[in-house]
Amino acid sequence: MSMLEVALTVNGEARSGAVEPRKILADFIREDLGLTGTHLGCEQGVCGACTVLVNGQPARACLMLAVQARGAEVVTIEGLAEGGELNSLQRAMWESHGFQCGFCTPGFLMQITALLADNPQPSEPEIRAALSGNLCRCTGYESIVNGVLAAAGHPVPSAHEPQTQEPERSSVA
Amino acid sequence: MKPAPFEYRAPESLDEALALVEELGEDARPLAGGQSLIPLLSFRLARPTCLVDLAGVPELQSIRIDDGRLVIGAMVREREAERDAKVEASAPLLACALPLIGHPAIRSRGTIGGSLAHSDPAAELPAAAVALEAELIARSRTRGERTIPAADFFTGFLSTALEPDELLTEIRIMRQSPGTGCAFEEVARRHGDFAMVGAAAMVRVEDDRITEARLVLTGVSDVPVRALDAEATLTAAPFTDEVLAEAAEQTAGSLSPASDIHGSSAYRRHVAGVLVRRAVRAATQRAGVAA
Amino acid sequence: MSIIAQRYTGSSIKRSEDLRILTGSGHYIDDVRLPGMLHAAFVRSPFAHARISSVEVSAAREVPGVVAVLTGAELEALIVPGPGAAGIFSGGITLPSFSQLATDKVRLVGDPVVLVVAESRYVAEDACELVEVDYEELPSVITEQQALDPDGPPIFEDLGSNVLNRTEIATFGDVEGAFARADRVVSAHLRQHRHQNVPMEGRGIACSYDPESGELTVYSANQGVQTARRLLAQALDVPIEKVRVLSDDIGGSFGLKMGASREEIAVAAAARHVGRPVRWIEDRTENLTASGQAREESFDVEAAVTNEGDILGLRVKMTIDTGAYPGMGGMLPRMVQNMLPGPYRIGALSFESTAIITNKATYVAYRGPWASETWVRERTIDLIAKELGLEPLAVRLRNVVTRGEPPLAMVTGRSLAGVTARESLERVSAMVDFGAFRERQAEARAQGRYLGLGLATYIEAAPGPRQPQGGGIGGPEQIRMRLEDDGTVSVFTAQMPHGQSHQTTFAQVAADEFGVPFEQVRVVVGDSSQVPQGFGTGGSRAAVMAGGASLHGARALKKRVQEVGSHLFEAAVEDMLISDGVLSVQGVPARAMSLAEVAKAAHEPGRLPEDVSGDIEVTTAFDGGEGGWSGGSHAAIVEVDTETGLVRIERYLVAEDCGALINPAIVEGQVRGGVAQGIGAVLLERSAYDPESGQFLASTFMDYLLPTAWEIPRLEIEHLETVPLDADVNFRGVGEGGMIIAPPTLCNAIEDALAPFAARVTEQHLPPNRILELIGAILSDAGEPR
Repeated sequence: MSMLEVALTVNGEARSGAVEPRKILADFIREDLGLTGTHLGCEQGVCGACTVLVNGQPARACLMLAVQARGAEVVTIEGLAEGGELNSLQRAMWESHGFQCGFCTPGFLMQITALLADNPQPSEPEIRAALSGNLCRCTGYESIVNGVLAAAGHPVPSAHEPQTQEPERSSVA
Repeated sequence: MKPAPFEYRAPESLDEALALVEELGEDARPLAGGQSLIPLLSFRLARPTCLVDLAGVPELQSIRIDDGRLVIGAMVREREAERDAKVEASAPLLACALPLIGHPAIRSRGTIGGSLAHSDPAAELPAAAVALEAELIARSRTRGERTIPAADFFTGFLSTALEPDELLTEIRIMRQSPGTGCAFEEVARRHGDFAMVGAAAMVRVEDDRITEARLVLTGVSDVPVRALDAEATLTAAPFTDEVLAEAAEQTAGSLSPASDIHGSSAYRRHVAGVLVRRAVRAATQRAGVAA
Repeated sequence: MSIIAQRYTGSSIKRSEDLRILTGSGHYIDDVRLPGMLHAAFVRSPFAHARISSVEVSAAREVPGVVAVLTGAELEALIVPGPGAAGIFSGGITLPSFSQLATDKVRLVGDPVVLVVAESRYVAEDACELVEVDYEELPSVITEQQALDPDGPPIFEDLGSNVLNRTEIATFGDVEGAFARADRVVSAHLRQHRHQNVPMEGRGIACSYDPESGELTVYSANQGVQTARRLLAQALDVPIEKVRVLSDDIGGSFGLKMGASREEIAVAAAARHVGRPVRWIEDRTENLTASGQAREESFDVEAAVTNEGDILGLRVKMTIDTGAYPGMGGMLPRMVQNMLPGPYRIGALSFESTAIITNKATYVAYRGPWASETWVRERTIDLIAKELGLEPLAVRLRNVVTRGEPPLAMVTGRSLAGVTARESLERVSAMVDFGAFRERQAEARAQGRYLGLGLATYIEAAPGPRQPQGGGIGGPEQIRMRLEDDGTVSVFTAQMPHGQSHQTTFAQVAADEFGVPFEQVRVVVGDSSQVPQGFGTGGSRAAVMAGGASLHGARALKKRVQEVGSHLFEAAVEDMLISDGVLSVQGVPARAMSLAEVAKAAHEPGRLPEDVSGDIEVTTAFDGGEGGWSGGSHAAIVEVDTETGLVRIERYLVAEDCGALINPAIVEGQVRGGVAQGIGAVLLERSAYDPESGQFLASTFMDYLLPTAWEIPRLEIEHLETVPLDADVNFRGVGEGGMIIAPPTLCNAIEDALAPFAARVTEQHLPPNRILELIGAILSDAGEPR
């Protein structure tokens, strides 16, 4: 089996490793680089738990080979905190009780990071659309959406007031 | 769920890529964005001996206007096309279709050419290409370039008119003329899923009459289905609710989609009719006519 | 006037778990790395039902990097044969005999046949492809009718049929009299479809065995380390004191990761066999196909009613599909039976049940496993209302119990003390403004838009009123607490959180009761060598049982500290005060020590009398106290697109009662998460099998559809005032309720929306396809997979 050298930047650090061509990027990040914050929830490209940023864009690390990331700048959940302190998104999620079991968390945080970079003031329907490719089985999503609203500086609706869903947020597109 | 072993090549020019696919033959697979291929590898349903990664081929990466046509390189990422002003201005139907593909993290990797060459009958881009009467450009090292009309490109479930030594290099689309409206309507179980049924519609309207109609459905056969009878009905008489209902009924009646766990044949047929109505109505409104 | 100390209990303080979860430094089973660790993968059956004629593994053994390949027969020689761990959930029902890996037959698609252990999961899967198994296909048993066919092929020959268990008719109250007095009998055949837990993290285990010491160390994503320890010790015939089970962060479970599964036993045995650590991480395809499924039950219901809407009695026949390799499925009907009357004055019930075996995944616990009692009752009430031309709300209010008035117990026996079902129904109907909705609904219908409102009410024994045996599911809860030398209060619990935030909530309770800052309490979970014995997390027991144990444990530990302090300060025990982490003598503020100083001083020779231990540690047990019910009423407003069958949830309202809230944000998270799973069950999720071939049709996330942020609405939640029953502990479990009540709430709303079509909803799963069939827009295709 031929081994290929993969050199890339992860969370601002130059990293490298020798891999089989078939090695999935998520496995490379977790096993070869030891960054286990990125989780594999399905390996089928659906759940989004393994989402990382590749050259600033969200990408599912189960849908990329490690060799496809040669020369890329990759950011994982471990790269979010700033100088050992939670960043503003992490703080907003902590405040809003965003997550429960934490398994989907890395994918959500990276997808939200990409969303806010693109659109710093997303509306709730925009947030829900952008996060619809990330599955969470614990929360029912409301606390995560609240965390994004808070991170974007929007008011967060109370759970104790009437909440008619906006018509454009139809159940299924 | 880990792929079986394969070799990997990353050509740096189109000539090098074409030479590789010719040399490696049918057992090799081109790798575009990988958003459909990599799960197939992980399921071990695809067993290529070698992947030829086209990401480093410069000739496949651009969006341009050329001779009145919008030309999109095969390796242009869907997200990039979605954000490109030329696409929105020249091919609004494509601009409607692109945001319906999967999710942002899929579109940031997935490519225009990859989606077309994958030929999934539930996917948006093949249907849009057929509705736009796009030209797909294939190239081989020995035979050079050939142009395949979209209608002839998709030959079956996950199969196309491409020869094993050919690569899809670009897609060319006639720029949309004034007076044209378009819409892409879908019914999916969840936001971002492959639709159970989709309908792409483009209409040209003159004096409250549809003078040209193109109507293509996804998810109802093994390839995108153009509803030619319904198109004829729409253009044969002044546009009314009755004409639209007849076109929808004609479409539904002509289909025999397969059943799966998400929707029965009867369901898909019914919804195809509903979506024809919704898509044509929306397209007509965008063209400036209220039925 | 004394200063009121800050109370943590009752406040939505931020979770201590989040510091690791939000930074990627959580530690899940797939993050376990052991020296020399190998990776396991299973060869699984492609057939639903087949005889194994031969298994050829020599090519697989030749693959470089493969360390061991174990067939079913080889594995049996390494363990104590028999169904083993499955028995603990069987409730005394005799199980057929079976092995951990299939030997003679395969009994479902995904049945594990061969275990491969290799240097990487990639290589293990390469080798799996080289294992050749010859199968002789047998007719599969997928539907209820097939399982009940006496001429059908028995899946387990020793059982002789595909009926696992039949219960005789159990009668409560005067059933004959109720039906004789009735003006009408409303009947229905109600079906609940197969769906499943689907935690975002699959199952997983990593084991290492030290042949010299004979110690087996197991890392397991598991809801209870002590239960897993006992079962693995039994299965591997290792003395229990030589087995240590560790659990760390768990990526969800919802009932799935309990005990020791067939795969987990195989992996533990393989680790001992090869003498190196072995880890198995279940992938998504395995998880969907073979980890277990739930809820497939059907009911024949007859309700004896008066024209005014009084429900006099019910006759119910239940059939439960326990899948292959049955575990808990056989005992479930009794739980359903006992809870069926719910918070209503239903004076008579007859109940019988049949548990069948099929070529499908094992029936496992899933968030409120007995939930069909609520689904069947609440659906039946709406059908009664339809039949009588009454408002479903009116029928509920007519029959629901009133606190303090007879009947004080369900006809099946349990006390209804403290039940607030009437209050929650009144509250939720006020929140939704019932009258205004009916007007809006009529206007919408005139425009061809179909809105519907559904209501449902439930109670859950979390833990329920005190019973002779105490403690609800799993018995009393032990807790161990100690004051560490650095002043930390350590709380050791057998509870094993997998998203429920126990490390925050138990610390809140203990900190308040003991008198230390929240940050000074450390909740220790997931190490069988440190935590007390106990069943683990399940049955919504954590809040009340372990929350209560935390309170009583903290109280006992405080007493110990006061006792030690009285010696250190030579003062009366009654004068020892603990506040904000400081021990002081009442009235003499200068005489004070930090808890760290107390702990250190207690260990210094000569500071304490000889008969007083310097180890400040207690173990206490809590039996649930006077107990109490969780419960509530939910309402949903939906709009159904009658052209496409898609359902949009416009509002979802909750009036709930889980007693005193420890952490409201955590409670609301549990409610929302449960409701989301219930919405998923009705609109999206189905573990579908082909009735002919027995193939599993939902083995990917493209086929088994979990709801996303787009489909799940915001919830409006109101908490009812607590009815205190116990002097100290009035927290109640809240984990399961949302999942129990959301399905009937949503089904009732959808039927209400479809009233102009006279549609009757008798099944829980209502995908767009089915909605169009119910309103007659399309014909149902009987030949298609259902």
